[in-house]
Amino acid sequence: MNGILTGKRLLITGVLTPSSIAFHVARLALENGAEVVLTAFPRVSLVERLVRRLPGPAPVVGLDVTDPEQLGNLADRVGEHFGELDGVLHSIAYAPPAALGGNFTTTTWPDVATTLRTSTYSLHSLSIALLPLLRKPGSSIVGLDFDSSVSWSEYDWMGVAKSGLESCARYLAYYLGPQGIRVNLVAAGPIRTMAASEFTKEPGDDFYATWQAKAPLGWEADADPVARACVALFSDWFPATTGEILHVDGGAHAVG
Amino acid sequence: MTETREDIYGEVSAIIQEVTGMQAADVSPKKSIVDDLDIDSLSMVEIGVAVEDKFAVEITDAEMPKIVTVEDLIDHIEQAMAARD
Repeated sequence: MNGILTGKRLLITGVLTPSSIAFHVARLALENGAEVVLTAFPRVSLVERLVRRLPGPAPVVGLDVTDPEQLGNLADRVGEHFGELDGVLHSIAYAPPAALGGNFTTTTWPDVATTLRTSTYSLHSLSIALLPLLRKPGSSIVGLDFDSSVSWSEYDWMGVAKSGLESCARYLAYYLGPQGIRVNLVAAGPIRTMAASEFTKEPGDDFYATWQAKAPLGWEADADPVARACVALFSDWFPATTGEILHVDGGAHAVG
Repeated sequence: MTETREDIYGEVSAIIQEVTGMQAADVSPKKSIVDDLDIDSLSMVEIGVAVEDKFAVEITDAEMPKIVTVEDLIDHIEQAMAARD
């Protein structure tokens, strides 16, 4: 299949449900000529079912990104499928209920630590674990972000984690840039995924409506434009861009 | 379509058993999938995906929370299959 990712081999994390942004990235990447390997956590069998809905084959590798042992042998396990990688999608975030939903002032360190370890540090640990496989120069690491320049109702410690993710991406861009590896984030507008359902309890609530009204381009809460941006960042069409946060939010971040 | 409600129940029960490792005797139509069967949200997603694939029907993200019992799931499958056929 021909497309802007022809010949590229990508590792995609975060396929959790059919509505996951990562699922759409995997679909579009395959449609555009890439080969992909998916990581799965916690339900490998669910991801294997979802693979059958993709337009091409995709091996599945189990990965709990907080488990040092699994990270330690990740390159070997991925290497059984692909000898080299051109890109990695980081689409991993988790916060315990006590760290979300308006509990900010009472959250204790163990819950904050879990949030930061899973949602912030994992960009570092995943990137470093896969460094031996990443093509140098020319690889692209892409992470999924939610604008953390302001506070959001109920997003709480996940917002703090996203601020850290943004900084982590800039430092990875700094340290990996000399090897020709780009690191960028895509800050998506709100999408109705399982992750989002943890802090927006009512589907179709004011949060989405407000975003849609604010965004100059409007906002349909559709994963496809976000996936397109990720695919573009994996392609050779952003060769001099790193440490960047690309907003795919209908333009909402740009207006007051 | 010749599939009876009984057939659908048998197949849904098999899917629940396959996804959760539960025994057939533990599954019954009136039981709440999440509360009585103690199935976590991701297992519920997997059951939904397996049902969609098995019966060639769709369960949208908006419909999913309305499916509480095994019977609700069977009702949804029947209605979706009737609408499709």
